[in-house]
Amino acid sequence: MENWDKLSKMPYKEIKEMQDRKLRAFIGNQIYLYSPHYSELLKEQKIDPFKIKGIDDLRHLPFTYKWDIAPTDEDPQKAKNFVIRPDEEVSEKYGHLAKMSMTGGKAMVEEKMYDFKPVHIHFTTGRTALPTPFVYSKRDLENIREAGARLLDVFEVTREDIVINSFPFAPHLAFWQTFFSGEKTKVAGFHSGGGKIVGTKNLMDAFEYLRPTVAVFIPGYCYYFLREAVKQGRDFSSVRRIFFGGERVPPGLKDKIKDLFAQLGAENVMVLATYGMTEAKVAWPECPSHDEYHGYHLYPDMEVFETVDPETGEPVGEGEEGEIVYTALDWRGTAVLRYRTGDIAKGGLLLEPCPNCGRTVPRISSNIQRKSELKEFNMTKVKGTLVNLNNFFPLMMSHPEIEEWQVEMRKRNDDPFDLDEIYLYVATSGEVNREKMVADLKQKVLRDTEVSLTDIIFKSVPELVSQLGMETELKEKRILDNRPKD
Amino acid sequence: MQPWSKISKMPAPAIKKLQSELLTKMLNEELAARHPYYSELFKEKNINPAEIKGVEDLSKLPFTEKKDIVAPEGNLIYPKKFVLEPPAEDEQKGKKKGFALFGKKDTEPEPSDYYFFSLYFTAGRTAKPVPIEYTLFDLDNLKEAGLRAFDILELTRDDTMINAFTYAPNVHFWQTFYSTTGIGSTALQTGGGKVLGMEKILKAMDSMEAPVLFAAPGYARFALQTLEHFGFSAGNLERIILGIDYTPVTAVERIAKLMESVGAKDNQVHRMYFNSEAKSGWAECAPGFGYHTNPDHVLIEIIDPESGEVLGEGEKGEVVVTHLDTRGTVFLRYRTGDIATGGITTEPCPNCKRTVPRIMGDIERTQLYLELQGKEGTVEFNANQLREKMFTNEDVLLWYAEINRSNSEDEVKVVVKGTSGADEDALLKTLQQDLQAEYKVPVSVEASTLDAVANHIGLEKYTTEQTIFDHRDS
Repeated sequence: MENWDKLSKMPYKEIKEMQDRKLRAFIGNQIYLYSPHYSELLKEQKIDPFKIKGIDDLRHLPFTYKWDIAPTDEDPQKAKNFVIRPDEEVSEKYGHLAKMSMTGGKAMVEEKMYDFKPVHIHFTTGRTALPTPFVYSKRDLENIREAGARLLDVFEVTREDIVINSFPFAPHLAFWQTFFSGEKTKVAGFHSGGGKIVGTKNLMDAFEYLRPTVAVFIPGYCYYFLREAVKQGRDFSSVRRIFFGGERVPPGLKDKIKDLFAQLGAENVMVLATYGMTEAKVAWPECPSHDEYHGYHLYPDMEVFETVDPETGEPVGEGEEGEIVYTALDWRGTAVLRYRTGDIAKGGLLLEPCPNCGRTVPRISSNIQRKSELKEFNMTKVKGTLVNLNNFFPLMMSHPEIEEWQVEMRKRNDDPFDLDEIYLYVATSGEVNREKMVADLKQKVLRDTEVSLTDIIFKSVPELVSQLGMETELKEKRILDNRPKD
Repeated sequence: MQPWSKISKMPAPAIKKLQSELLTKMLNEELAARHPYYSELFKEKNINPAEIKGVEDLSKLPFTEKKDIVAPEGNLIYPKKFVLEPPAEDEQKGKKKGFALFGKKDTEPEPSDYYFFSLYFTAGRTAKPVPIEYTLFDLDNLKEAGLRAFDILELTRDDTMINAFTYAPNVHFWQTFYSTTGIGSTALQTGGGKVLGMEKILKAMDSMEAPVLFAAPGYARFALQTLEHFGFSAGNLERIILGIDYTPVTAVERIAKLMESVGAKDNQVHRMYFNSEAKSGWAECAPGFGYHTNPDHVLIEIIDPESGEVLGEGEKGEVVVTHLDTRGTVFLRYRTGDIATGGITTEPCPNCKRTVPRIMGDIERTQLYLELQGKEGTVEFNANQLREKMFTNEDVLLWYAEINRSNSEDEVKVVVKGTSGADEDALLKTLQQDLQAEYKVPVSVEASTLDAVANHIGLEKYTTEQTIFDHRDS
């Protein structure tokens, strides 16, 4: 791991040289030797690992897809093949070397334990595949801690701050990245586990008791939480920054959140976003700005990002729209190469220094269409058309009159062979002209998602909050696919 | 805290002397100077902390009770009264200079030892949860307490562990987390049934071939009983560490038997006693040998819950906790409401030979000592014993009890779901007879479905299941 201050000022040419060097070493010394999946793959495809001289040669390696690693009922231990681990043969060699050392090998054993032994596990979330474990060794925990420190550095959070972590507790990246950030930087915090764990009222009490300066949330729950707080006349005036994870924050939602904080006594709260994925084992910060988007700052000593044409797999140019492909660099535990994230970076990969903060590390554009937002629903066939349900998010989240919403897909008469139906449930913030709203929404949904809604159903806010599982689910259920499987 | 290798072998008189030193230091240098609640209390009650010369004078100090620490309605920040304030900067500088003059190693705590770092809550089973503040100093103590507990439990980094303690910003989850990462074992922090659900926890246990499981007793029992239903084996399971909820020794035996019956590799069961107000949890080296406390961290007294009088060794009484080496939230003589049926002993442990004080017997909750209205007057009803009885009944899968008030007397209604294969009619009949013979109020026993009982007791909803519902006040 490099020094972040140094890295943030390093010209891209030097960053690339460092990445080339690290990639060569990682593939030659770790992946090829100790990653069962990749060492077999390289042998099978007759790829000479020593011909990978740098990141430009990554294209010679095949992609890794979600289904390559996700466990199946037939092969529940699939993910283990992606864990970097010296096999018995190698251990024997170490054992032999260890016996020859002055200390009887104790130090060497400790070092290997630190490097390779899994001590912590996260799982992917998702409904299509079984959850996939991603393991961290002690050495990897240093990486996630360092990533956390970098995140807080970009967000200008210091030891003077107090953080309330409202991410739902789970063996997932979001909660733990926030926890490890505090551990490394010694920034004080309350890791609540979210509304499902402590309850919304207790969480509000904690805000008033601790008077945090930083709040960490998933957007959907945050919007609900703040509205409830306004209703109860709470005082959150201590909050200066809020950062989100899990979903992209559309500009309209940013404004709504700022407005709600203002009603709670906190003026001009900076709304910040993070981008993370279980497979990469860390999250990255968006450069802070009230009204501009400068992209997420990456950690070039921990990973390589490529952007590729999602159809052909060919790399696209700097700043061009493409699918994010992730390659681990200098990790132990689970490590993936050229992993197709399915996330589309609209503004591509940016290598110029950040116009906002001047950091020179590569950036990925803020406008990312996340596959993981909707998992299998992102491109779903509804009524025979491939529909991008992602587009519901900015449209509905930014709508000034809509407090909550949910999309449900059904089959007419619940018959798997009958027509698809798509319903939109909405709860509005006050009295609205329903007729006008229905016409307006139908038109906008058609424009943004190319689907015509079967119907729009109005619900009260509490009804919809409960239907979404706001207080009971790890993450609210925005899109329901209730179509019976044929 | 002191090195464990030293404390765990220190003779009782030396431990007492150390505790006296820590206590006087805590009272005079910390609480009297910078503790909002106790400094005020000392003035109000004319207590001169300098007159407290040691552990034997502790009874001159008043108790702190739950009602003293809970925030009154509309005053959320009230519990801050129990948080030690950081020393003024010049106070710190002065101390450092003094030590430097004599060429001694500067052991004075850093000001940052006093700054808030993390917040946990009390379990709040019945009352409102109370925030307990931890500084980095406290966190180091929590980590040390965790490592000591693992040492007592003989857990090493070679043991793969599943932490199925329910996630809550609470001492039981976090001490376990810090212990597993501290020793460097492979561990999955599941967050318990509330987060992952039983099936995923069992699946993880199976696929990770984990020999060690941490779980609340009710949840561990349910896991073993439903293992087969979910199609998992316990072939790798060797040890279960029980915590969160209090576990009688008979329940340990029941779980050990269950482990054997499901084909576990071994059937070792251990208990831990976590106490939010003590800011740590204590482990037992073997069932029945007592919870090994940390005398350099907290001081334990056992008192008569009625009179408040301090009891002798081995006498059943209420556990009272005094912090000796903490920052953040600090309590003096805090009445936990937990009854140790075997009191406390300072004798070295006959099993592991460690010399630290041990809390003996089972832990019972004073809130479950109920008085029922019988036909001929008040009837004592120890719901702790009902819990034990139901827990150890082999034919009971899940259950709960309701206490209802009719016109003339109270009634106990027990709702049961039997294990698969159990003759439910026979179970209801036997339970009815047994319980009626024991309790002097009408008892009814009825059967219900698995879902209904599981939902009612909040098996995967609360931190730990609730089995006793006293409806008489509502």
